[in-house]
Amino acid sequence: MAQSLQRIAAAAVFSLPFLAHAQAPKPATGSLAVAFGAEATVLDPTHSSAGVDQYFFGQMFEQLVRTGPDLKRLNWLAETWSVQDAGGKPVIDIHLRKGVKFHNGDPLTSEDFEYAFKRQSDKKISIWTHLQAAVERFEIVDPLHFRLHFKEGDGSYVASDLTLWAMPKRYMEKVGDEAFERAPVGTGPWKFVSRSVKEEIRFEAFDDYWNAEQRPHVKNLTIKVIPEDLTRVAAFKTGAVDWIDAVPPAMTEEFKKLPGVVTASYVAPNNMYITMDSVTPESKFYDVRVRQALAHAINVDAIIKGVLFGQGQRYVEVGIGELGYDPDLKPYPYDPKKARELLKAAGYPNGFDTPCYNLTTPREPYQKEVGEAYFAYASAVGIRCKVVGMEYGTWISFGRRERQGYVDGLYSNMWGHGLPGDPGTPWAGHLHSYVPGKGWGATSTYSDPEMDALVEDLKREMDIPKREALIKKIARIKHERVAGGLTTYRPLVTFAWRDKVTFKPWPMAFWRSMQEIGLKQ
Amino acid sequence: MLRLFGRRLLQGLFSIIGASIIIFVISRLSGDPIVMMLPNDAPLSAIEEMRRTLGLDRPLWAQYLIFIQHALVGDFGNSYRWKMPALQLIMDRLPATIELAVCGLLFSVAVAVPVGVMSAVNRGGWVDRVGRVFAMLGQAMPAFWVGLLLILLFAIQLNWLPAFGYGSASQFVLPAISLGWYPVAAQTRIVRSAMLDVLDSDHIRLSRALGTPERLIVWKYALRNAAIPLLTMLGVYFAAMLGGAFVVETIFAWPGVGRTVVEAVFARDFPVVQAGVMFTSILFVASNLLVDLSYGLVDPRIRDAR
Amino acid sequence: MRAEMFRGVPWLALLVLAAVGICAAGGEALLPFEPGELDLGAAFKPPAWISGDWASPLGADNLGRDILSRIMAGSRVSVIVAFYAILFSGGIGAVAGMVAGYFGGWVDTVLMRLIEIQQSVPAIALALILAAALEPGLPTVVLVIVLTYWAWYARIIRGEIMALKGRDYIAFARVAGVGTARIFLRHLLPNIFNTLVVLATLQVGQVILFEASLSFLGLGIQQPDISWGLMLADARQYITNAWWAITMPGIAIMLTCLASNIFGDWLRDRLDPHLRQL
Repeated sequence: MAQSLQRIAAAAVFSLPFLAHAQAPKPATGSLAVAFGAEATVLDPTHSSAGVDQYFFGQMFEQLVRTGPDLKRLNWLAETWSVQDAGGKPVIDIHLRKGVKFHNGDPLTSEDFEYAFKRQSDKKISIWTHLQAAVERFEIVDPLHFRLHFKEGDGSYVASDLTLWAMPKRYMEKVGDEAFERAPVGTGPWKFVSRSVKEEIRFEAFDDYWNAEQRPHVKNLTIKVIPEDLTRVAAFKTGAVDWIDAVPPAMTEEFKKLPGVVTASYVAPNNMYITMDSVTPESKFYDVRVRQALAHAINVDAIIKGVLFGQGQRYVEVGIGELGYDPDLKPYPYDPKKARELLKAAGYPNGFDTPCYNLTTPREPYQKEVGEAYFAYASAVGIRCKVVGMEYGTWISFGRRERQGYVDGLYSNMWGHGLPGDPGTPWAGHLHSYVPGKGWGATSTYSDPEMDALVEDLKREMDIPKREALIKKIARIKHERVAGGLTTYRPLVTFAWRDKVTFKPWPMAFWRSMQEIGLKQ
Repeated sequence: MLRLFGRRLLQGLFSIIGASIIIFVISRLSGDPIVMMLPNDAPLSAIEEMRRTLGLDRPLWAQYLIFIQHALVGDFGNSYRWKMPALQLIMDRLPATIELAVCGLLFSVAVAVPVGVMSAVNRGGWVDRVGRVFAMLGQAMPAFWVGLLLILLFAIQLNWLPAFGYGSASQFVLPAISLGWYPVAAQTRIVRSAMLDVLDSDHIRLSRALGTPERLIVWKYALRNAAIPLLTMLGVYFAAMLGGAFVVETIFAWPGVGRTVVEAVFARDFPVVQAGVMFTSILFVASNLLVDLSYGLVDPRIRDAR
Repeated sequence: MRAEMFRGVPWLALLVLAAVGICAAGGEALLPFEPGELDLGAAFKPPAWISGDWASPLGADNLGRDILSRIMAGSRVSVIVAFYAILFSGGIGAVAGMVAGYFGGWVDTVLMRLIEIQQSVPAIALALILAAALEPGLPTVVLVIVLTYWAWYARIIRGEIMALKGRDYIAFARVAGVGTARIFLRHLLPNIFNTLVVLATLQVGQVILFEASLSFLGLGIQQPDISWGLMLADARQYITNAWWAITMPGIAIMLTCLASNIFGDWLRDRLDPHLRQL
């Protein structure tokens, strides 16, 4: 309170001659170094190929809407927006916020979003063009007002924060794509300064940032890239950096006890599950009772506690905070006896042998060990695993139906998405049956016309309350039939910072957003 | 001499081309980069299109010819993941790796020479004993474990040295030790046996008889001659340092080629793998060439013998 | 005579090597526990002399698996890898070196170029790409090591053979019409045998370290197989929670490498002193 009063007072003194900008805040000062465990490859959001790219571009670029720290959706660069109906086809009508500037001083206008839309629909530039496929045309009404006309409903468009990133049209047309990668310009709170691959990226707070309330309070920010856990921890403990991401789960307890250190854990937008072929009649897991036996066999809570040091959150089909989360949906209880009975009922009184594929490249902390634990629990009730380790590059092809067909046995899998998340797109990929060449069921292990119809409905549905109801309905059926895999946990990621740092985690860039970071005075 | 150098240069070029074929073929067998580049729900047509764009639909030999044709004019293609020229990515990272390898080598020589000399002169003395144990441990502990232990002790516990980063002199210490420890034992052995030979030679005996101080004999006359066998092996050890960098760079978040190539292999980012390995090969060959050249200059007997 | 032969034998080193050999040969019968057996309740149980118990004297790892059993099981993998890697790299390298050294000419030129190509690719890079191309695991690790080390043998053996070729008795044998195969088997092989033994002994430690590096990069031995390198690489995540989980396999690696190097050094001094530059 005192701080904001002070800020208002300061603003009043400094901006007296420019009353139009009465809320312009005091420029930030000071420097801060932080360390990330992974780094982005590209800096232009349109070039992005993986979630990790957001770690860097998420600091510089912004979308029309954004999810706030409480996981509620906020209007961001859009002042208002609504889904309207134009003769049976949906239209998203958007009014831009006034006074938003790019880092080079250009004002943000509808043309910049039209440009972004064109680039995000261009196969030569973006690999995400299918996300724009449902948009028929982009209509500019005036510099701060535009409309997106859809051919058909596209629920994922709404679910993923209206997908478009504000790109500076005039600047980009002047410098070209390649130079833009080396000197990106966005509307975000951080201005690009320099980057050294595998080492660091440097930012400077953007003084003309439009958001007077939620903004950084430090002038210079350096993000170091330190992949090895112990080294990152050492960098923090020795004071080389004052903030780190991904505290190793085994060390979170120790970090919580460190004097002068603040920690916070958040759910990472990744959903872990175990999947099995339920399509091929010869598959042992074709029988729903075998799948249920597996669900009863694995003690997920014990794994979270023992293997992950509590750094995981159990979920059933839809995670907490995600659209359509249903608190009444309970996991299958750990019950090895029941599991054996179910196996017996399915015709395997003595169990059976099966290959079990484990991802050994840790995409999430201790993923390999979790896999080993899954398979040990499965073996204990008679689903006897012959464990096969797989490196990420092999594993990712492995999950795809068009290359591998259906795979016999169990394998650990995951689906990542934005925060808070919406299961529409993941389910289109692994719950809908596999339709060659159409994008449906690319990693599917399930096939059921009833489920297909529901997932397709969900794909088209743009109305949030209706989506929510539909998601809950699908989740129930999915859970009963253990369809499209057995959901287990969502990893938690822990951040630590020294108490001289003020930090409020925003879900952008998977909680690594430096939207509100600063140094205590 | 010049002729010898020219021949070695040609042989080196041949090795580099051979190496590039091996890496090209094996890396292309290692998996499909496209599934890793496109999102999970991308339709099949997008995959096919991407494959055509990257030229991965052509037969392997044609792909190689195109690659080598471009590589000769310095174009290794764009990184699939980084959207920038693979050559630039590698060249930007090369100095850090070379500096690390040189520091690793300096560390190993700085330990091996005194230990080797002392153990030849003063067998069983404390320098000999401690030094030999130290040298042997380097050959008995995986570099990544050494690196972690060093971080644990010198960064976290004592806070004497930085655990990561590239730039200041103190940041070189821990990575250079992790990297340079391994060859210490072999180098010590070379120095020691060369010293024993030299100290036994006639002209040293003569100097001794003439009353030259022992310290001068050992550290100046004898060592100068004994250094030659070590020098001839430095190219090999430098190469070993470059290889070790693949592991050590990851531990110490060192912005070098090794780490870049490791991550490119996992991402099946072929242009970066090719550019990275090719430049490491060039460094290998160049360092061996330099060594050949330098000991030819240092020791006329070797020069004539060839 | 006997006493002379055994003078300075590094008994301690031999003892360590024998222990590793027994663990490896003894198989499952010797193991106190099933090495893959999980017991989440026993996770990070400390070694017996701290606060654990003698059921698992070296403590337990993050999944409650008995570390001693895993080290013993890992010794088998290490010995298998070392055995095949040395057999094939030594075999191929020896044959290549003998052929190149004896025949000279274009055969020698081709082989020397191959060796140079081999040596200009950083071993760990080749290993990495190869392991990614094939399925990572025990056979791939062996293949990678063989591809890396055959050139090392070939180069040294070639040098030895070239020196031998000039000796009179080889020339006599040739003039006397002794067949090439016989010259190889009767005259060349026995003369390089000592060198091969020394090289092989010294390679044991290198193989173990190489496998550990591959495991660190995630492309070494794959579960459910166990190797010391894999244990070491996996346990680094818990280095501050349970030092024993990483230290115990580390010590196993260290002792085995030290022992084989000390023994190799002794053999070298005994059998082939001019190899000291290795």
